[in-house]
Amino acid sequence: MTVQMIFLAFFGGAAVWFGVVVFRTHSMVRSALALLFSQTAIGAMFLVMQAEFLGVLQIMMMATEMSVMAIFMVMFMMDPGGMGKMDMTHQKRLSLWAGGIGLLAALLLVWLPDWGPVALSVPGAHEQAADLGRELLGRSMFIFQSAGLTILTAMVAATMVAIVPNAEQSK
Amino acid sequence: MIVEMMIALSVGAGLFGIGLYGALSQTNLVMIIMGVELILAAALVNLVAFWRYLHPDEPAGQMFVLIVMAVMAVEMAVGFAIAIARFRVRGSVEMEEARELKG
Repeated sequence: MTVQMIFLAFFGGAAVWFGVVVFRTHSMVRSALALLFSQTAIGAMFLVMQAEFLGVLQIMMMATEMSVMAIFMVMFMMDPGGMGKMDMTHQKRLSLWAGGIGLLAALLLVWLPDWGPVALSVPGAHEQAADLGRELLGRSMFIFQSAGLTILTAMVAATMVAIVPNAEQSK
Repeated sequence: MIVEMMIALSVGAGLFGIGLYGALSQTNLVMIIMGVELILAAALVNLVAFWRYLHPDEPAGQMFVLIVMAVMAVEMAVGFAIAIARFRVRGSVEMEEARELKG
């Protein structure tokens, strides 16, 4: 058992455990924090898998995203602290079946195929970042620019949806 | 090394199952968004594991991760915009009360 295996299993277990906590706690703020910890554990997994740039990016991005999510939780939830123990679920049996079947199908897809030889070494962090930069501004530039355009469109769309309704609607 | 890859992919499968359960079972829009975030996080774990253990010399694998991260940000921004609009009109983001959105 290697050190990498131990750390991967530890952070992987933490990511899954905090993922379960997201839907088990009554407090919505705790849910947002559990999701933050889950995403941070995933970022730590990336670091263990020697994807340094992506690991740091994941942790930084998710810390911001989940903080925003916690604010929205407090704004919109009827019982953000979970003191009233409100049940905010529906079709529980169907969801459990769907989640369980999805999990089993994904596990079968992971464990059954022959993945072939596994790479033992990866390029260094500097080389990875340089290669990624060349990839983004070279062969995959169109896809990268499309992602940028999609984000811009989403920003405009989100602002338009969220602004105060016009006079006709407010009558 | 194959065991490490199996651990990472199994974690991805676990996150996918939990996310699917959450997205289907929750009645609050913000909690549904959390479920979708977990499903996308599962995709991220799988992509990094495939890149690391099968094609570490191919930077396109990392590029896919950046695209999925962009999708996560977009999904959250649009989801919260809909939540704000819904909250302003109805005073709640409970999806049980949003049956009029059905086509």
